[in-house]
Amino acid sequence: MLTAEQNDELTAVEAGTRMGEVLRRYWYPVAFARELAEFPVKRVELLGEFFALWRSPSGRYGIIPEPCPHRKASMAYGVVEEDGLRCPYHGWRFDTDGVCTDQPAEKDNTNFQNRVRATAGKVEELGGLVWAYVGPDPAPLLPRFDVYVMDGFRDIGWADLPCNYVQIMENAVDPHHVEYLHGRYFEFIGAHEGFTAPASFGKQHQRIGFDAFEYGIIKRRILAGASEENDDWKVGHPLVFPYNMRVGGGGIHQMQIRVPINRTTTRFMLYTVHAPEGYEPLEQPAVPDYEIPVFDERGRHVVNYVEGQDIMAWCTQGPITDRTTEHLGRSDIGVAMLRKMFKQQMAAVENGEDPLGTVREPHERIDLPCEKDKFHAGGAQFALDFCDMGSTRFSPMLDTIRKVHLSAADRVVKDKAAGRPSFTPEGGIGTATLTPGTSAQVDSE
Amino acid sequence: MIGDRRFAADADAHRRDQPRYCPACATALDLASEFWEGDERRFYCWCASCEWTGEVTTTGATALGHEPEH
Repeated sequence: MLTAEQNDELTAVEAGTRMGEVLRRYWYPVAFARELAEFPVKRVELLGEFFALWRSPSGRYGIIPEPCPHRKASMAYGVVEEDGLRCPYHGWRFDTDGVCTDQPAEKDNTNFQNRVRATAGKVEELGGLVWAYVGPDPAPLLPRFDVYVMDGFRDIGWADLPCNYVQIMENAVDPHHVEYLHGRYFEFIGAHEGFTAPASFGKQHQRIGFDAFEYGIIKRRILAGASEENDDWKVGHPLVFPYNMRVGGGGIHQMQIRVPINRTTTRFMLYTVHAPEGYEPLEQPAVPDYEIPVFDERGRHVVNYVEGQDIMAWCTQGPITDRTTEHLGRSDIGVAMLRKMFKQQMAAVENGEDPLGTVREPHERIDLPCEKDKFHAGGAQFALDFCDMGSTRFSPMLDTIRKVHLSAADRVVKDKAAGRPSFTPEGGIGTATLTPGTSAQVDSE
Repeated sequence: MIGDRRFAADADAHRRDQPRYCPACATALDLASEFWEGDERRFYCWCASCEWTGEVTTTGATALGHEPEH
């Protein structure tokens, strides 16, 4: 439970707010690369502001605020040229640094052009996504997290959700919900719709724990029948501050991305890489994306798949959940820890420091800890459940993805018989990160 | 403004009872997130000034002990 003022501060995304200033220190995916290949300029909403994003014929990206500095017409309807984006109304042109390089109806050699500079952000392409940074200089580096650069077969599911991103992030430090929302509730829905929910999701939590680390919070759990030696505890998986969660298992590596579009809209993305042991690389000229269902034709949430259940819970909490009348328990201690982390980063930014996870060192790849044997379900079983019971079942690539996992399993068997090592994709390899002797913050036995 | 009137009393109690100052350095606390453990109300607190993190529990006027099994 928080005061209304604390809730307001926590959930803000706008410029000039404490949290909005923290959020402006990070890079965000704002388009699929294929979108700008199809049409080179796009209107983008991010952190409650609108921008024009474009890609020049030679592949150079730019992003500037949507209103033209001249008379505020939308630059998102602009003309893309090699040297910048030209306003459709009177032809003023801005380059990727925001410099006004042409004012067709004005006199040359005046300072007028210098007065109307657009505030340009930075844009890069990585892993089939177009990323933007719209905060203050100097911009940090775009973090090359493992999933975006590792070998594997990719797809991206997405949906725009009518709720604030913080309640989605609080779900990322809430291990117990899996047992009910994806266990008991899944069973209940399955019984009515005629399918069998995956058993591994309903295992009882014996213990949960959370550790702050350099990119966020590592979440750990011990499920019934497991011990501290299982991946779910020893490795866990991280909330990647401030808007991601890295998950996976069974040769699947995923970043769950929750982009704060505005205060009550979040772009939810499931960036998934299928890279089981024995994977035989497939050509992918572009990363396919697909929209996942949120509501059915009656306006009810679609709850017969894992992420649909999460979405139902997040959205039904309200556009901005009322934390003044919530009732957290001890099992919600991860939520309190995340709120502390948000507050810490607000203070850091006010003190002129970089917030958590800001990357300024050049790097090839940042490997995030993530369990491989999720829910000690056995890798292959988890992969099958993931395909059948998660958002992947809506992917246009579903058949190919199944083949990826089945042929990889066959390949491993053949390699084993032949006494040769199987191909293991690089990156995304979870490592044990729990310091010996570290005690959990919560013991829910 | 309270959205859910069923728990207006809890919201009022939170506003009234939340710890305001850091037990370590006496600066205004930055965070006091309330949760329950059985009948006990607890506040997970953080001080931006000295980085103190801890839980504060309200007890009321009555001090309760426990009796070992015998």
